[in-house]
Amino acid sequence: MDHQFYLWMSYGATALALAAEIVALRVGRARARSHIESERGLEEQD
Amino acid sequence: MNFYFFASPATFFRLAGAMAPMFFVLAAISGAVGLYLGLVVAPTDAQQGEVYRVIFIHVPAAWMSMFIYFVMACYGGMTLAFNTRLAAMMARALAPTGAMFTFVALWTGAFWGRPTWGAYWVWDARLTSELVLLFLYGGFIALANAFEDPRRGDRAAALLALIGVVNLPIIYFSVQWWNTLHQGSSVSFKGTSMHVTMLWGMLLMAFSFWMYAAGAALVRCRTLILDRERRTRWVRALS
Repeated sequence: MDHQFYLWMSYGATALALAAEIVALRVGRARARSHIESERGLEEQD
Repeated sequence: MNFYFFASPATFFRLAGAMAPMFFVLAAISGAVGLYLGLVVAPTDAQQGEVYRVIFIHVPAAWMSMFIYFVMACYGGMTLAFNTRLAAMMARALAPTGAMFTFVALWTGAFWGRPTWGAYWVWDARLTSELVLLFLYGGFIALANAFEDPRRGDRAAALLALIGVVNLPIIYFSVQWWNTLHQGSSVSFKGTSMHVTMLWGMLLMAFSFWMYAAGAALVRCRTLILDRERRTRWVRALS
């Protein structure tokens, strides 16, 4: 097989792994902030 | 300097928020230069041809997989010895990034191994011990999240991290202790057998991965702090 296949599979997978982690970081942060907001909302209702 | 001041989650949260973007910028700049050197400037390898360029991510990812585990185990030791909340959160924050780099090292190694050795995978001492490292990261993450009380999860995972440190010298010295298909180190403190542009490309990529790992760990640690401290006054005061 051509060397380009091995290079694309390596660099492409690394880029995907980094992108997936960055998305997971952003999702985690948004979730933590929404927990705080929902608790704050519940307290205001009380 | 009072280091206990920085061990406070409230202080660390603000400090990490200021530092993380700087780490990401450094990672992007050094990564761009490293990739340019590795993919454009560095000459073709006489034996392996163009496919050797996988090393510009494979070797830095493998270094980071071991380095992050070592740092994680240090935080684990601090968690057990001093019962510090922040050390436990930093250990948790490092684990997914370390697992990601371990996966990248194994994956890119497979795509380097196929054209050079003729196989994607062999049960070689270096490859197997690196796979064990991936399982250790997985075990750490699973154990840390297996308890309802996060502090118990912190301590259990910290103990696993400390026990798993024994795998690091096995990974590093495996190519010397056993007859392995994996080649020995091309870079050491004594010198290198690599072309200077290959070496600089690889070192810059290692620096880039290091900065990325620091930035990602800080961002994740901030999220953990927000989650655990959400009932405290200072988190509620955040907009």
